[in-house]
This record gives sequence, C-alpha cells and structure tokens, in this order.
Amino acid sequence: MSAQLLFAALVAGSLYALVALGLNLVYGTLRLLNIAHGDLVMIGAYVSFWMLSLFGLPPVLSIFVAAALCGGFGWVIYVGMFRKLLATPALAQRLEANSLILFYGVSVILQNCVALAFTSTARGYQYLNEVHKFAGIAASGNRLMLFGVALALCLGMLLFLRFHLFGWSLRAVIERRDAAAVVGVDVDRVQMVTICIGFAIAGVAGVLVSMTEQITPFMGFPFTIAAFVVIVLGGLGNIFAGIVAGFALGFIETFGVALTSATYRSILIYGLFVGVLLLRPQGLFGKAIKIR
Amino acid sequence: MSGPIEPLLAVKGLSSGYGPVTILREIDIEAAPGSVTALVGANGAGKTTLMKTIAGLIPAWTGEIRFDGQDITRAATHHRVDQGIVLVPEGRMVFALLSVEQNLRLGAIAPRARKNVSERLEDTFRRFPRLHERKGQLAGSMSGGEQQMLAIGRGLMAKPRIILLDEPTLGLAPIMVKQVFAVIEDLRKDGYTILLSEQNSRLALEIADYGYILENGRVQLSGPGPELVDMPDVRRLYLGR
Ligand SMILES: Nc1ncnc2c1ncn2[C@@H]1O[C@H](COP(=O)(O)OP(=O)(O)O)[C@@H](O)[C@H]1O
Ligand SMILES: [Mg+2]
Repeated sequence: MSAQLLFAALVAGSLYALVALGLNLVYGTLRLLNIAHGDLVMIGAYVSFWMLSLFGLPPVLSIFVAAALCGGFGWVIYVGMFRKLLATPALAQRLEANSLILFYGVSVILQNCVALAFTSTARGYQYLNEVHKFAGIAASGNRLMLFGVALALCLGMLLFLRFHLFGWSLRAVIERRDAAAVVGVDVDRVQMVTICIGFAIAGVAGVLVSMTEQITPFMGFPFTIAAFVVIVLGGLGNIFAGIVAGFALGFIETFGVALTSATYRSILIYGLFVGVLLLRPQGLFGKAIKIR
Repeated sequence: MSGPIEPLLAVKGLSSGYGPVTILREIDIEAAPGSVTALVGANGAGKTTLMKTIAGLIPAWTGEIRFDGQDITRAATHHRVDQGIVLVPEGRMVFALLSVEQNLRLGAIAPRARKNVSERLEDTFRRFPRLHERKGQLAGSMSGGEQQMLAIGRGLMAKPRIILLDEPTLGLAPIMVKQVFAVIEDLRKDGYTILLSEQNSRLALEIADYGYILENGRVQLSGPGPELVDMPDVRRLYLGR
C-alpha cells in the first residue's frame, strides 16, 4: 500500500516540479509573475486532445506540437510586449508588479477564447491506460509516461544549467542582469529564449496532464497556484530548489490527503503557502541548496 | 615624447546620468594603445558613471564614444564586449552562485573570445594561482581581494583590447591594494591597454601614462600621470597634501 502511495506522490511531485520549473525560469530571468502559466498548461492539454481526436496523433508526439505552440506564444508575448519594457530600467522596475495584472489579462483572454472555441464541456481521452504491476505497485502506462517525461525534462534542465555555457548565462541573468551584460551575455536573447522554454515546458506539462485528467478551459488556475506554492517553497528564481520543492509538494499533498481526506487538499496546499511565506519567506531551503 | 598616436578609445563631449539627473558633462578623454590611463577624483565625481557609459550599461545623452576609429556610442553592451571593450566593474560583480571556473568561462562568452578558451583559462590561472586553487568553489565564498582577482581574470577571458578597471581597490586591505597594483603593472607589461579609475589618486597617477582628474562630472585637469602628481595645486587639492 505505501509503495502505491509513494508512486502516486512521485507522479504528482514530478508534475508539480515541471509546471513550477517553467514559471520559475520566467520569473528568475525576467522577473515576470506569470499568473497565466496554468493556462498554458490548459492550452497544452487541448492541443493533445485535438491532435488525437482530429489527426490520431498520440500524446507522445503532441508533446512537440504543444511545446512549439506555447513556446511560440512566449516569443510573441516577449517581442510584442516585454522586450521594450524590460530594456528600460525605469519601466522594468514597475514591470514586476504590473506583470501580475498584464498576465491576469492574458489568462482571462486565453480561458475565454478557448471556452468560445471549444465550449466549456469537459473533454478527455483514453491513452496508455493499461495497468502495469511491478514491485507492489499498480501503475497505468500514462502515469508512468507522465513521470518519465517530467523527470527527464527536470533533470535535463538541471544538466543544461550545470554544464552548458547558455545555461550558465541563464543563471548569470537570474543572479545579476547587469553583471551578465558586463561579461558580454546578450541578455535580451537569454530572456527571449527563456520565456520560450518556460512556456513550452508548461505546454508539455499540459499534454501530460491531459492523459489522466479532464480538460476544461478553466483547468489551468490550480496549476498556477500549485506552481506559485512550489517556487515560494523553493525560493523564487532558485531553479534546483524549485524542482526539489515540486516533489516535496507532491509528497505533502499525497500523504496529507491519505492521512486525512480529499477535502483537506486545498487547505493543505494553501496552508503550506501561507505558512512558508510567514515563517520562511526566503523559501524552505533558503540559500542552503544551490546548483553548482 | 613621440608623435601623436591614434587613441584606441576616444570620448568626446560626452554627457550622461540617471533619470532626470545629469552627472557627466562634456567629458573628453582618450586612451592610447598600450597605455595606462587614470581617472581619478573623489567619491561621487562620476568615475563609475563614465565607466558605465563607456561600457554601454547606461546610454550616452550627448557626445560620442569612438573605439579604434569606430563610433560605438549606441552599441549594445554585449556588442562592445565583442569588440574588446571589457569592464571590470566597481564592486566586482562576480556571480556568487557560479563556481570560480564557471565565472571565468562565462567571461569568454563573447563570440570573439570563444576560441581557445581552455588555453586562456590556463593563462589566467597562471596569472592568478589562487583562482586555480579555488576553481571549483562558489565565487561568493571568496574574500574581497580574491573576488577582485576573479573579476579581473573574468575580464581577461574576454580577450580585451581595452580593460576598464573601475575602482579595483575599493574596500580592500592595504596589502591587497598593493597586489592589485602589481597586477595592473603586469598587465601593462603584457601590452594591455587600461583605463583605470581610482580613489587612490596618488597611486593611480604614479603608474599612469596619462591621467584625468574628475570633479562633479567634469574633467578638471589632465596630463601625464607623474606630472600631475608633481603639480602643487594637484597635491594640495586632490592628493591631500
Ligand atoms: N544609479 C544611480 N542613480 C542615481 N544617481 C546615481 C546612481 N549612481 C550614482 N549616482 C550619482 O552619480 C554621481 C556620480 O557617482 P559615481 O559615478 O558612482 O561616482 P564615483 O564612481 O566617482 O564615486 C553621484 O552623485 C551619485 O550619487
Ligand atoms: Mg565609483
């Protein structure tokens, strides 16, 4: 029984880690609070649904379509809205607070456009739902895939940040934008690529979610909240700690609900959020965990 | 001395500042290739503002900045780095959360510096053995003097054609100040062109081929470094005796 619970916690945790990773990258490099992040997850979910229904394209391939679509949306948002604002120091300072409202607008527009286009009827599909039994666990194929893809993307991003020159320049921008420019980093390009990557990751997470959950235009908000809880837990802009915190939230939620009942789920998550903000605003790990 | 040499860096009629506040007014300075040029002046005179404007971190309002004959007044910072104008900023600005080696390798991110990075890293480690000992350590865990060496090393990784050294001795113990000046002498011997800003006016002018004294965002006096040091007015007004 506890092995089953452990698996459930890992699956939930990997998803939270992935969704929060995209948000954290965008916050860290651009200082934008993307309250529409969960809606990109929703877009990814619809991409997966329609690709399968219309073209018979399986989710494992829709991942690329969703990544391209959401990443492209990130590019449009950056070039159309934020490039100019970020390049002007006076505007950039106010932008962090204003971004919340800007993205709230984006969120409402996305939700309503999708609702208009596809109605708010809940959708769903069956994919890889055969159950595999091993090591005392009964695991559906789609959950195994969700876990595998989410974990691979999180680890891949960590390796990229650890070993690749572009990864270092990304970390340099997160730590000190002016110093990054001083050494010759093209900060504008790093920001553009990062928003594309962050948005693409959310789209991929949406594809993964859609395999196991119902799809509606308004499914995104809980993911936005979960992602914010995770990056507050880990410390804003701290990528590695954010991934650890994603798994931590998966465990807290899964085991917390198992010990109490499903009605406590929201109380747990919001309680954690408020508790951490009050007691450890620098994040659970503070400065203790950093990627080298 | 010799005839007029084409300056590598030439700033003409430059003004800039922050928001509505003008800091630099009508600045004219030049740096000859292979020379050490000193910018001295009290705290708040505008040395850092001038360095930042030359590096492109803040825009020039009027005037022009020419580098090797080319007008770079409007070029983006990373493009200036790619032309070889490399700022070693005041306060060092090393990446505290990156290792010493990652800081150095990141210093070579400009396209012109991407080749032979490992050789240059070896050179830098030879110049600063302390950095070699600490290459795996987080930059933020080092002392101020070591971070200054790292900031200079990171600048050298960019293959600079001119190094803008902004107050490299700020906040350092006297023994570290000596070491930093020894490093500057070494760099000059190796043929680097250096624009050095300092509050240690005497030390800076003594080693400078040419010096500028800044006050309230203007150049008050200029001349060969040692000559400036010997001028009674300069001694009295700027060198404290
Ligand atoms: N970011 C800033 N915003 C507004 N004013 C500044 C800023 N940085 C410096 N100043 C002002 O510009 C003037 C020159 O400062 P600075 O260039 O740092 O002088 P120095 O490097 O010679 O000590 C000072 O009066 C300082 O208060
Ligand atoms: Mg200064």
